[in-house]
Amino acid sequence: MKLIQSELLSQDEICPDIFRIQIKVPEIAGICQPGQFVHLKVTEGIDPLLRRPFSIHGASVEQGTLDLLYRVVGQGSRVMAGMKPGDRWSILGPLGNGFNLECDFDHAVIVAGGMGSAPVLFLIEKLLAMKKRITFLWGARVCDEIFGVKKLTDAGMDVRIATDDGSRGHHGFVTDLLSEFLKDHAPNDRMLGFVCGPEPMMAQVQKLALPTAFPWQVSMERHMACGVGVCMGCGITMTSGLMQMVCKDGPIFDLREVDFNG
Amino acid sequence: MVDMQVKIGSLTLKNPILTASGTFGYGTEYAPYFDISRLGGVVTKTITLEPRQGNPMPRIAETPGGMLNSIGLANVGVERFLNEKLPALSDLNTAVIVNVAGNSVEEYRDVVATVDSHPRVDGYEVNISCPNVKKGGLAFGTDPAATCDVVSAIRKVTAKPVIVKLTPNVTDIVTVAKAAQNSGADALSLINTVLGMAINIYTGKPRLARGVGGLSGPAIKPVAIAKVYAVAQAVSIPVVGLGGIMTWQDAVEFMMAGADAVQIGTLNFVQPDGAIKVLEGLDAFCQEKGLRSVRELTGTVRVESSSSL
Repeated sequence: MKLIQSELLSQDEICPDIFRIQIKVPEIAGICQPGQFVHLKVTEGIDPLLRRPFSIHGASVEQGTLDLLYRVVGQGSRVMAGMKPGDRWSILGPLGNGFNLECDFDHAVIVAGGMGSAPVLFLIEKLLAMKKRITFLWGARVCDEIFGVKKLTDAGMDVRIATDDGSRGHHGFVTDLLSEFLKDHAPNDRMLGFVCGPEPMMAQVQKLALPTAFPWQVSMERHMACGVGVCMGCGITMTSGLMQMVCKDGPIFDLREVDFNG
Repeated sequence: MVDMQVKIGSLTLKNPILTASGTFGYGTEYAPYFDISRLGGVVTKTITLEPRQGNPMPRIAETPGGMLNSIGLANVGVERFLNEKLPALSDLNTAVIVNVAGNSVEEYRDVVATVDSHPRVDGYEVNISCPNVKKGGLAFGTDPAATCDVVSAIRKVTAKPVIVKLTPNVTDIVTVAKAAQNSGADALSLINTVLGMAINIYTGKPRLARGVGGLSGPAIKPVAIAKVYAVAQAVSIPVVGLGGIMTWQDAVEFMMAGADAVQIGTLNFVQPDGAIKVLEGLDAFCQEKGLRSVRELTGTVRVESSSSL
């Protein structure tokens, strides 16, 4: 965990309101894991006051760079979208726990919706390096939000797409693709599931995942103040009734243990 | 060299910079970011007799220049605090002040009695000002008689310094301040958060699940300065000022208003090493002013015309 001034190298609007930025921060790029996040102070001043958490979307140890992917949704991200190469900001990270890839598995089944693709594409990079078989079910509102698919299929991945408006792939939800996948493939204990996306989608994936024979990891999101387990503001309720902090206990959790109604 | 030491009752702090309860965990969470032993002291998260999960989510919301919280004193409870958290502070070379609360006078007293013999406990801060719990908290801090009951009960079970943390959510904070002083408090800290609320106009729901919460951050600083000024005029015990300190200039302002020491709260969330930056700036300011002691700042504000506070 480090607190550093970093420099913005580039910022691209990859589709309306979705930006990918690259920042120079070798101290974090060298040690971060897929699933971890960074906490950014987007302005020097007090409005907005708090830092903003962002999943790490990519990292290059050689270049010392970090990629973040974000959608403009509020005041903080709007300020970010206006930042230019050379601008500097304070960054805290890497924070939280990454996806657990230490377990024994051959086949990764990944479900991402919307901005859930941000940590997932970093995860995929790592899984490809580990030579794992990957099935990637990718849902978005419109086709513009789906990018870089050729690179993934060229790498031998099975990529299936769903869009809300039917502009690309299946016309409907990504969870439809998961139902279909689970029907066609006898789930086995050599599989490992990953999910990240809007909460209603993750709750639906949980329903579909419960009967499967393999473990699932979920990346959770909450508004945060401190990002380091101090303010106790980013809690989620577990099926045990216990509360856990997304920033410190997560953001990666066992999908079966999250109480989405809690 | 400026003498940065200040005294809070029988407790000598190496400098006037403390961390505020609820913003610094149990004292070690920010250790990766700076040397915590450089601080004048740390004030722990509020400790209650039983563990608490706190209020339902969402329980934080950002507002202009501030944040609302309705955490509700989530903490590990006094047993785990004693067995797991206090031992982790043994190497810390700074004052450890344990913030305590309870549902009843007896619970406040029992938390203090449970940890009092631990050598790492240098003093207490009594939270009679949390706006986020049904029982305890504000119910004590808004009633001078109840304040007396809590402080007197704690006074009977400890000889260590007792700081009483006051709420601004009262008509007359001076009455409560005097009640605490007369019941044996060694010092007062103020202000706790200001009761606040924010509404999501698209859902028609409050932004905090509980509805209301406590506002902190720079938005409340002028309120805090006014309360510190009023209380410091009225009592003879030390005053610890807090509420929205973001810079060393803010700390100087609190001290000029009458504070002997200050606490850094929301700033910790924004800038994990912020408290040290405040300390360094305060030290440099005193040097530049040619002060021999940081204590020379306390209460130096000059109000020309009489105030009607």
